[in-house]
Amino acid sequence: MSKTKNDKNFWKSLKEYYNDPDVLKSKSNEFADGVTEDFNPSELSPISRRNFLALLTASAAFTATACSDYQDKGEIIAYNKRPEGIIPGKPNFYASTCTGCSNNCGVLVKTREGRPIKLDGNPDNPINKGKICATGEASILNLYDPDRLSGAHKNRRKVDWKSIDSEIIDILNKAVSDGKEIALITKTVTSPTYKNLLTELKTKYKTLKIYSYEMFDDLNKRNAWEKSYGSRNYPSLKLDEANIILSLESDFLGKEGNYIEAARKYAGKRDVMQSIEFNRLYVVEGMMSLTGMNADYRFRLRPDYQKDFVLSLITEITNKNGKSLYSKSYSGKDFCTKYGFDQEKYSTLVQDLLNNQGKSIVLAGNSLSEETHILVNYLNDVLENSALYDNNSINNELIKNSSKADWKELESKIKNKTVSVVINAEANPVFDLSASFINEVETKISLVDSENETSSVSNYVLPINHALESWGDYNSRSNLISLQQPVINPIFDTRQKENIILTWVNGHSEAYSDDAYHQYLKNSFKENVYSRLNTPAAFDRFWFASLHDGAVQLNNETSANQFNYSAVSDIKVENKNNSEYLVHLQKSYYIGDGKFAGNGWLQEMPHPVTKVAWDNFAAVSPLTAKSLDVEMNDLVEVTTDGKNVKLPVIVQPGMADNLIAVELGYGREVISDSGKNTGTNANILLNGKGYFFDVNVSKADGTYKLASTQEHHSLDDTFVKDFHRKRKIIQEGTVKEYQKDNRFLDKYKYENFDITKGPEYTGLKWGMAIDLNKCLSCGTCVTACNVENNVPVVGKDQVLTGREMQWIRLDRYYSGTPEEPIVSNQPMLCQHCDNAPCENVCPVNATNHSTDGLNQMAYNRCVGTRYCANNCPYKVRRFNFYNFRDHFANAYYQNDVSALAHNPEVTVRSRGVMEKCTFCVQRIMEAREDAIRENKPLTGDMVTTACQQACPTDAIVFGDSNDKNSKLYKYRNHELGYHVLEVLNVRPNVTYLAKLRNTHSEEV
Amino acid sequence: MSSTIDYSQELSVVEGKPPLRSIDDAIIKPLDSKPDKKYYMALAVTISMLGIGVIGLALSFYYGTGLWGNNNPVGWGFPIVNFVFWVGIGHAGTLISAILFLFRQKWRTGIARFAEGMTIFAVMTAMIFPAIHVGRPWLAGYLMPYPNQHSLWVNFTSPLLWDVFAVSTYFTVSLIFWYVGLIPDFATLRDRTSNKIKKIIYSVFSLGWRHSNRHWQHYEMVYLILAGFATPLVLSVHTIVSFDFAVSIIPGWHTTIFPPYFVAGAVFSGFAMVQNVLIFIRKIFNYEHIITLDTLEKMNKIILLTGMLVGYAYGMEFFIAWYSGVQPEQFAFVNRAFGPYAWAYWIMVSCNVISPQLFWFKKIRRSIPVMFVVAVFVNVGMWFERFVITVTSLSRDFLPSSWAYYTPTLTDFAILIGSFGLFFTLLLLFTKTLPVVSIAEVKAVVDGAQPSHKDH
Repeated sequence: MSKTKNDKNFWKSLKEYYNDPDVLKSKSNEFADGVTEDFNPSELSPISRRNFLALLTASAAFTATACSDYQDKGEIIAYNKRPEGIIPGKPNFYASTCTGCSNNCGVLVKTREGRPIKLDGNPDNPINKGKICATGEASILNLYDPDRLSGAHKNRRKVDWKSIDSEIIDILNKAVSDGKEIALITKTVTSPTYKNLLTELKTKYKTLKIYSYEMFDDLNKRNAWEKSYGSRNYPSLKLDEANIILSLESDFLGKEGNYIEAARKYAGKRDVMQSIEFNRLYVVEGMMSLTGMNADYRFRLRPDYQKDFVLSLITEITNKNGKSLYSKSYSGKDFCTKYGFDQEKYSTLVQDLLNNQGKSIVLAGNSLSEETHILVNYLNDVLENSALYDNNSINNELIKNSSKADWKELESKIKNKTVSVVINAEANPVFDLSASFINEVETKISLVDSENETSSVSNYVLPINHALESWGDYNSRSNLISLQQPVINPIFDTRQKENIILTWVNGHSEAYSDDAYHQYLKNSFKENVYSRLNTPAAFDRFWFASLHDGAVQLNNETSANQFNYSAVSDIKVENKNNSEYLVHLQKSYYIGDGKFAGNGWLQEMPHPVTKVAWDNFAAVSPLTAKSLDVEMNDLVEVTTDGKNVKLPVIVQPGMADNLIAVELGYGREVISDSGKNTGTNANILLNGKGYFFDVNVSKADGTYKLASTQEHHSLDDTFVKDFHRKRKIIQEGTVKEYQKDNRFLDKYKYENFDITKGPEYTGLKWGMAIDLNKCLSCGTCVTACNVENNVPVVGKDQVLTGREMQWIRLDRYYSGTPEEPIVSNQPMLCQHCDNAPCENVCPVNATNHSTDGLNQMAYNRCVGTRYCANNCPYKVRRFNFYNFRDHFANAYYQNDVSALAHNPEVTVRSRGVMEKCTFCVQRIMEAREDAIRENKPLTGDMVTTACQQACPTDAIVFGDSNDKNSKLYKYRNHELGYHVLEVLNVRPNVTYLAKLRNTHSEEV
Repeated sequence: MSSTIDYSQELSVVEGKPPLRSIDDAIIKPLDSKPDKKYYMALAVTISMLGIGVIGLALSFYYGTGLWGNNNPVGWGFPIVNFVFWVGIGHAGTLISAILFLFRQKWRTGIARFAEGMTIFAVMTAMIFPAIHVGRPWLAGYLMPYPNQHSLWVNFTSPLLWDVFAVSTYFTVSLIFWYVGLIPDFATLRDRTSNKIKKIIYSVFSLGWRHSNRHWQHYEMVYLILAGFATPLVLSVHTIVSFDFAVSIIPGWHTTIFPPYFVAGAVFSGFAMVQNVLIFIRKIFNYEHIITLDTLEKMNKIILLTGMLVGYAYGMEFFIAWYSGVQPEQFAFVNRAFGPYAWAYWIMVSCNVISPQLFWFKKIRRSIPVMFVVAVFVNVGMWFERFVITVTSLSRDFLPSSWAYYTPTLTDFAILIGSFGLFFTLLLLFTKTLPVVSIAEVKAVVDGAQPSHKDH
């Protein structure tokens, strides 16, 4: 504003007029000294004048909008100036690393207009090769979790970062000068730079001690390897070369180790298109696991008897191949009689192992004891299976995880008041380890993304960035450094965990800059990686190229170590007394150790075996259920060491008797909305004795309703038994049967005919094939589809009513006896029938067929009669009974952030509309646009559906079924191909390849 | 009635030989008198029921169909069950007024008007359900073929669309038929009333009727044509309603027996409902001589006949399922009788097949309390029949992995209660506004009203 003549300098007194310094000083402060002392904004009513006005305006605006068109969701404003590198409507992809677990798979982040909307595996990563797990797929939701913390908090109050940093630095310095310990608790460290940073922190603050843990760690395995081979770093396995795989309580296809890599390698030897020299999977386990479901031969055995089992195997095998260096003997016959094993099945296993020496592998689960691991190492050694150890890709251990003794020590130190600071770096010891003793520490600092049980008892809570907002490098395998780069600016007022620690290392709060850790990482990379590689490229070029690829491969081949036979010499036959009940605490398939308990998509993923969502449970065998007099939903009380937990029961066919399997990670108390009131906290049972131990179990009063997506009827109920076989839903054979007659399925084929002539599809026609030999039922396709297609979370109450919305479901059928069931799995999605029964019954033509064979849904036309869903024989249509976006009582989706996770290419469906799998029509359209722009014909291989892209075993094939040269055409016309419910003549466009079980017989 | 009936003679429809004037008086009395306390109490009950339904509906509109028990395999629940039930109730009216008219069954005259009224109200009640059961009721207009700039057209292969036409046609024809029958009565009312407003209304609706010979001639002709027109509709409406199920491929629905089975069931439940209500009407309004025990007995015979038709259909369904050799089909029926919904199935069988067997006994056919109870059972049974067909078939269809149990919610029951509330409220209003028995037709069947060669 320009000064005009009318602008006058008003003065109130002569002193002021003569610029008296006192007056000037008092003028600079609006209020006189002391006047504002009682005035503390944070103590005032949270509704300020401005907020009040804002609320007033907002409510008026709400009233006004309530009267407007309900479909009007606001304006879309185009870029005024287009940012560099972004083409509106076109996604950008960035390579990064998933930090969901310590596998650190390479990911490719899809971003649209600057926001990440999907994670998929990075195809350039040599370990996970373009695939990630179900949890990784869904973890994008955590980035947009409205319950993420924003701004640093001291004693639940927001304080600015700078002052909190200096305060903490002072506290740390004081602890050092007082000689008190600073305990830093973190999860397993897989980042070399983070490790360096922690070392520097330790150097700076001398009394600092690092405690690291993983809820389900491989500590026993590493200890065993140390004793057997002298190195704690154990090699990965060449599973793709194994003919016989024997898994002992190891869910290596479901949740143990890098199961994405294992699944790919395992399924690689189950590809009927390549060869029918399948591998053979033996599983010996207590609970029915995902791996157990896929076994060719499965034995039921409590985990505490595994050692006996391995001993008997060693005896049998060394007796036959004459390599015995071990005197303890335990004959297989004795073992079989004692544990009720099928003698014949057992000797098949022994024979198979002997026939495939050097071509088989025995895997021991991480929960098994150190001794069992040593014995398994020995067994692999006498079988010469060490040939399958991949010494090029070794499972690194950067910082040794703390042992049980370390935690005991920490507890006693805290009790003795010699620890003055606990730093919780992205961990949750209070929940995970029931470490409530840290409460007694004077200063507790939590670096967390959202409130958890530990941060809720901390004095300082520093919110940290999500993985997609962070820099990092990971080296969980010796041959690979996987890089992590941020793809979005921090959405909330958060800082990267490493960056916060770096500030403390630097020792003053001014040292912080948003870029500091980035620079630190770059330097560390330059020193430790670039310098060692002798690459001709300049560092910057190399750095950007590495970031672009997401990973740097190293050549760190180590020579194989010799087995140290003294390791086995002092292992004794245990002859354990049979305790009545044993509990086995396990990792949850999708929410992990509870880290992802706040992720609705993952909570709603049905358990791969029991199909229960939103809860954990006590799984027991049918016989044990009978002896406990319980049925599904009844409560049992599990007691050990005076601690007890009440859990609802699931009767699980195929489980070992007198065993209770419980998943951990549930029952979180301080968690975002989706995770509240889900399951029971069974972590409190952990007592340092490992993951399985003797317990007392009794029936408790009351029931608890578990939400299962599949009806549970008892297996031996003749009324509904074996329907999947009688109805030809599942068609199976064995490798032997196939070798004898490769068209053995033809005897089930129907000769269907039509009385009318349907339309002909001459051009491109979309189709899908699912190879049931490769499908493991891991559920990755389900979460990938959820993310791609904006599938809503409906909540436990709706799953209970049967209204889950997932477009693909994984059907699980049992046959055989309840004790030794045979499990068959089948992904079920819209079959896009050519003769679709849903289409002719829709009164308004909202669902119809496209000329390229898609069964389409016009959401805008749908009035919601649900007739189509009724008439669908596969029951794959999903109805929006509510507006599921605001169904949650606390309106999970009603915030500004959650909607950002949506894929902008897919309509968000409203209440009263039918929906279902579209074959990712948005991807087809995108490919078509590209083809038109590039002036070339659209072909089947230009489109990859989300489920196909995510499938870790490449069991899903999609393409043009009219193109005789396409992969899909070969699958569709394969002799093992069949359609579900062929007899109905609905002519589905999804072909299933019958599963071949690699047993020794011709019968299934 | 004594046991010495002369079956060579046609039975008199109206008991005694009331003077024609007294028939006018008796039928018009409820219209001329003020409603009594009991009427208001009855109305209060039915309106409360209606209110419960309105609340249930309002909540459903506000929150969504999720308030009902419907789930993924069971896409249709109470609303469709209620729809089929009420359309079925509507059947008796047209059957009595049109088909029995064509067959010259004179005993129908006493009950035809009332039964037609019930048809109209039942169809009105029924028509609510297709509209409200959809996910987005505000777009239900999409089911109408109307020209629009999107060139969007309805799907003529969908039975739901046929429903729209069948039910609306049925409603229109029933309404016209009813109104045509009312014209002479309107004229009688017009002639009798002294109230100015009523006079105007009756005059308008009587369309200038002067009881002239020409009028009667035209009237008889129109009535006959409309009866002929309505007769196929009786069969077509429920046939088409049954197509909603029969055209699908779901085991338990995909059945060719459905059209005759549904029509028989509809007549069955319709007669039971008419009988139930008439028992009250003849008592309250002193119409015992017009709606005679003979008439009720005849209705009971029809209930017995249709009940057995329905029973035959139940048996035949099982036989065909077994004979087809199709496993899902066989299971669908075994599952009905022995699966999780066996309770509903056995309620249905005992109410629909077993209870009407009592009507083999003449004493029971003529005992008002017993026949009332049996007819109530029949209505309960027929509601359950629709429940069994709709829900059990859907809850366990082809893929066992998708099976689920359907449990109705309070909202479902509220809407069901509301539908009864609506129906009975309309009936109550009807009894006080229009003659519930056809004055003109009854006069024509009074002993001696027609010329005869017998002694007078």
